[in-house]
Amino acid sequence: MAKNVLLVDDSSTMRKIISRSLRQAGLEFGKIFEAGDGQEALAVLESEEVDIVLSDINMPNMNGIEFLREKAGRDAIKDIPVFMISTETGEDIIGEAKSLGAAGALKKPFTPDKVNEVLGPLM
Amino acid sequence: MTEDLAQYLVDSTLEVFSTMIFLEIEPGEVLHQEAASMESELTSLIGLAGDLRGVIGVHCTRDAAQGITAAMLGMEIDELNEDVKDAIGEIANMVAGGLKVALAGQDVDVELAIPTTVIGTGLRTSGLAGGSRFMIPFTLPVGVFGIELKYVLS
Repeated sequence: MAKNVLLVDDSSTMRKIISRSLRQAGLEFGKIFEAGDGQEALAVLESEEVDIVLSDINMPNMNGIEFLREKAGRDAIKDIPVFMISTETGEDIIGEAKSLGAAGALKKPFTPDKVNEVLGPLM
Repeated sequence: MTEDLAQYLVDSTLEVFSTMIFLEIEPGEVLHQEAASMESELTSLIGLAGDLRGVIGVHCTRDAAQGITAAMLGMEIDELNEDVKDAIGEIANMVAGGLKVALAGQDVDVELAIPTTVIGTGLRTSGLAGGSRFMIPFTLPVGVFGIELKYVLS
């Protein structure tokens, strides 16, 4: 069954590009939900059936690390996998994200081939 | 160091345009200090903190900003709207991210702020007493844009 995806990025342009890249990569998915920061993402996760989250790190209001920390404390949503898509791919920040449950990371900018390689196993 | 920083920014910008925008761009000669300016109608700024303090500016003519956004989103753009501001802000973010990764390899730590984009002509960055400044002009089929770095290296 195709998985529903939540895209979390403060840039609406980037959300459109990620959505297009998923299609160009040939990945099968169901619904795509969108959120502009961590707070909006938590609200979507509490109200919609989401299977995978693709999240930026550097965002206003609630960034990707704060989002992971908050999500980890909520039993109903804590097991939904999160993949970071960000310009922030240093070992420190990605290490912190993984310690909070992130499944992995994809560096911006990216090609559809890279999206397929990295996200294909999750989809 | 300025030559290294300029090359990192050229490399980062070329990577962004080749992987996500699919527009051919051609970097020009680096402009230094007072010569580092260009006519623009939209500018996106992203602050830098850490070992390298300052600001990166992406300065676009109207045609360039609209053309880049159209290529990114795969749709026609005929005004400087929120999509354009968001798209150029994301370019600033990715270019700055590439600079951050390159500098990390030289043990220079940089933290990035969230980009701010403004529409208007004649915008100039100021501040950072003693700082250095340069701009790399880029030519693309639909206009010109410039990547400016104003910085102080600790």
